[in-house]
Amino acid sequence: MIFPFNLLLLLLTVYFIASVAIRKWAPRLITVLSSLTLLAFVVLNGMNRSFNYSTVYIISLSFQLNFVSSVLLILVSVIGIFISLRFKSSPGFHILTQSLIFSLTGLFLTRDFIIFYIFWEMVLIPSFFMIGMWGTKNKDYAAMKFFIYTHVGSVFMLLGIFTMYFQEGGGTFNMNFLIGGIGSLGITYQAFVLFGFLFAFLIKLPSVPFHSWLPDAYVESPSEGTVLISSLLSKMGAFGLLILFIPMYVNSSFSSSPVLPEVLLGLGIFSLIYSSLVALYQKDMKMMMSYASVGHMSFITIAVGGFLYLISTGSSNVLIEKLLFYGAVFQLISHGIIIAMIFALVDTTEKTTGTRIINSMGGIARKVPGLSFLLLLAFLASVAIPGFSGFVGEITILLGAYAVLKYYLIFVLIGVVLTASYHIFALQRSIFGPYNEYLGDIRTEKSELYATVFPLAIVFLLGIFPGLLFGFFNLGNLPFMGVVP
Amino acid sequence: MDPIQWLVFLIFGLPLIGFPLVIGVGYIKKNFSMYLGTALVFISFLIALYVFFTDTVKGTIITATLNWLPNLPVSIPVGIYADQLSMIMVLMVSFVGFLIILFSVGYMAEDPRRHIFFGEMVLFTASMLGLVLSSSLLMLFIFWELVGLCSYLLIGFWYYKPNAASAAKKAFIVTRVGDVFFIAGIGAAILYSGGNALSVSPTALSTIGTTWERTIVALLLFGGAIGKSAQFPLHVWIPDAMEGPTTVSALIHAATMVTAGVYLIARTYTIFTPAALTVVLSVGVFTIILSGLIGLVVNDIKRILAYSTISQIGYMVAALGLGLGATSIGLSIYQLESHAFFKALLFLSAGSILHALLNTRDINKMGGLWKKMPITMGAMLVGALALSGFPPFAGFFSKDSIISASYGHNTIAWILLVIGGFLTALYTFRLFFRIAFGNPRSHAAEHAHESKWIMLIPIIILAIFSTIFGVFQNGFYSFLGGATTSIGFIDAVPATVAVIGIGIAYYAYGRESTIPQRVAKGSGFLYRFVKNKFYLDTLFTNVVAERVVLGFSVIMGNFEKKILDGFINTWGEIFRDAGLTLRKLQTGIARQYALIILVGLVLSLLFIRILMFMGVIH
Repeated sequence: MIFPFNLLLLLLTVYFIASVAIRKWAPRLITVLSSLTLLAFVVLNGMNRSFNYSTVYIISLSFQLNFVSSVLLILVSVIGIFISLRFKSSPGFHILTQSLIFSLTGLFLTRDFIIFYIFWEMVLIPSFFMIGMWGTKNKDYAAMKFFIYTHVGSVFMLLGIFTMYFQEGGGTFNMNFLIGGIGSLGITYQAFVLFGFLFAFLIKLPSVPFHSWLPDAYVESPSEGTVLISSLLSKMGAFGLLILFIPMYVNSSFSSSPVLPEVLLGLGIFSLIYSSLVALYQKDMKMMMSYASVGHMSFITIAVGGFLYLISTGSSNVLIEKLLFYGAVFQLISHGIIIAMIFALVDTTEKTTGTRIINSMGGIARKVPGLSFLLLLAFLASVAIPGFSGFVGEITILLGAYAVLKYYLIFVLIGVVLTASYHIFALQRSIFGPYNEYLGDIRTEKSELYATVFPLAIVFLLGIFPGLLFGFFNLGNLPFMGVVP
Repeated sequence: MDPIQWLVFLIFGLPLIGFPLVIGVGYIKKNFSMYLGTALVFISFLIALYVFFTDTVKGTIITATLNWLPNLPVSIPVGIYADQLSMIMVLMVSFVGFLIILFSVGYMAEDPRRHIFFGEMVLFTASMLGLVLSSSLLMLFIFWELVGLCSYLLIGFWYYKPNAASAAKKAFIVTRVGDVFFIAGIGAAILYSGGNALSVSPTALSTIGTTWERTIVALLLFGGAIGKSAQFPLHVWIPDAMEGPTTVSALIHAATMVTAGVYLIARTYTIFTPAALTVVLSVGVFTIILSGLIGLVVNDIKRILAYSTISQIGYMVAALGLGLGATSIGLSIYQLESHAFFKALLFLSAGSILHALLNTRDINKMGGLWKKMPITMGAMLVGALALSGFPPFAGFFSKDSIISASYGHNTIAWILLVIGGFLTALYTFRLFFRIAFGNPRSHAAEHAHESKWIMLIPIIILAIFSTIFGVFQNGFYSFLGGATTSIGFIDAVPATVAVIGIGIAYYAYGRESTIPQRVAKGSGFLYRFVKNKFYLDTLFTNVVAERVVLGFSVIMGNFEKKILDGFINTWGEIFRDAGLTLRKLQTGIARQYALIILVGLVLSLLFIRILMFMGVIH
């Protein structure tokens, strides 16, 4: 069965207009509807379909639903449902969520660089307002920093797009055409294009040292905004790396030089260890989990680096390449759901105990066992304990990474141990130990806990049966990967 | 799948699927979870018995495999692999697990959160059974992590005790250090075999190419085993783990989970090259001596048993390190099983004592319990004799065979293993005499009484097994494909040494004496060195964790906040300040604008004029 893409866009637009028109109770419900429509779109199209519409002047209206975008759209719809279940925010917020869902849908599907860039920038607008309108104390600073910092990256990407367009001279912004012809550019131009894209994606991912916008944006935005930004926006950079940067690099003249892949690997490892160490230092639970998010996303950098390294050295170890690539894709959805769950629970914890400072809690398992249990599970999922989906993503990347890194894998493993350490430290200080009597008599909002069971169930399901998604993965469907499938 | 495959699956599947139910019924009535939990593990044991006697004794290997991650060039298998080794482990785990959970019914009867306790115990038993039945390294690792998780949860079961919360954290992180080596080992196995060596069957494992590659994989897997089986230098977590309930210590930190590392080595024995085996042997022997010495100076009843566990696992590891093929596996697994019986017995007896003494754990505050708790102390004597290798108890057959096997193989190892046997007898009977003899040295000890029958029955069953298990020795070895042994002259050496150890223990601790104090004072520095556990805990906690890791963390945290963020903000400030400065030009006064236009015009004309002079433009 086919669910046409133009119908999807039409429906999402109608939903959006309807929620703006009705306001009040409607946006929250309609967000669920949008998410379900999106899910139906992915499922009915079997996670793999191309949509080619006409070409408007130099812009080609060509869209592709592949397994990477499908996984990300599933994530978007899960988060959309979760946000509306969990947060009773103002209607305006849900309207912004819908516009975010719309932009991300376009972003993950398009095969045209100009449309890609438009959606890339469109995502910033709702996020900017989410932080700026509902944020906490330093919201203006955080919103501005977030907007400008990520925009700096986008500008370089735009320059890269124009460089490709004018140098290749095909009169089209079609991705397949521009990426395929990237090798025909002068070597300096190629380097500039690759740099521009990599810079934009690494900022968005984010990878150390381009992550400074993240802690402020996560901590200062309202909890629902943090959930959206952490679980969805960081995936844009990862999507770019996997779907655009890898093919561009493979088709460029640099494809047989392992320098850049080595840099990416080093950056990923550094990012993992650095973010873990900084997370260990944090006293604020939300701040700590922001750095945990950086740490988890650095696995994507490691996977992409390893994948390109294998291609650049000409070893045709398809098993390892697939482990790395599929692991990265799986890590995207699992990190997205887990981090959303964690920030939602941190929000509940803050409302319950009145603080986010880890040392100011203590032994809350005695008074709020339900919340503590969920927090424990969410943290364990983040540590990548088997049974949770985080394990599948992390272990596949680590297993593949051994083939690339060999003895240097020890640094990644140090990062893994450090990751476990700060999670366990935080658990020990916040929910275990003797009860901190200064907190008084605390209790939780039960409905908030029930809502968190929804992502938890998905995390369990994917952790135990990863084949549900892996069954659809096929590297052969992606163009220009440089891998014999 | 065949019915028999389903049955094997149910051995661990039943408690695994049933554990949420165990917790669930606890919300109706707490005692229901105790009965349901015990029943689930008992049914697992019965199924295991059935499978064992219908198929395994005939030498059938039951396997079933599913592809966990489809669409990869090779299959990533998960499934069951039940051969003789697995089934023997399954029988032991489910049987000892059942007895300990039965004991817990009495031991935890008054705990308000006992439904959660039983749920976690059942989950642990299921994961441990899954571990030994796994068909691939990846699945083995999954259950490996799950038993670690259960261990973390159960050590911290009394989470409101700061010591328990801290010990749970330490156990988790230290074993995690070992676990990451396991991950690397699986990665190496995949790389060097093209993905074929994920399965644990010997044929699949031998697809790993060169000797050097096998050594790497073996050593990485051994790194995982060190963490889980608490061998030097990652043994530091077990003594702290004694903060959990005693039944947890008995099940997880004595009988089953800590032997998972030994099982892992035995399972993947094909890839252990001579080079790797040398490392294994050295670590095992070194651990025996190290923990035996520490066991002599510790006063906490459970910690003495913990150090003894470390040293007994050292014997299993050393047996594998001897490199005698299937004989090594037989020696090691036989020691594993008999150790499971007598160490579970010792821990349960200790649990019974602690139950009576209101959790007083210092052996200096006990004494004279021989008269007050005769059944418990009698069982403990059996356990102590078995542990020190006194004939004809189980420990004599299992441990002395290992020592004798090393005689012809490696004389240095033999000497050290004999010394280890002497230390074992000494610290075990130091423990026993301090508890049993003399006068009660505290108020609690004066009012001790015998425990309930539901706690005594498992103790008695375990005592019987610790006594008669030696009968199965040669049958056991040949069942696992190893060579049988007979008792010879060389076996007398460890037994004699053990008797000497018991004698010294009686002389120093069994009666009023000041010998221990005088020895401690006389050895001075050496005593302090041992008393402080060779400063290894200090090294890990105070130097590695608090100085190095936290130090780096503080440096990085400050770098992040001050320098990196400051750098980014500086860029923002440069542009903002530039704007603030330049906007002063926008005064809105027309005369100033006219002046600027005039000056600009003059300057531009001048500039053009200069260029014309220089001949750049004409």
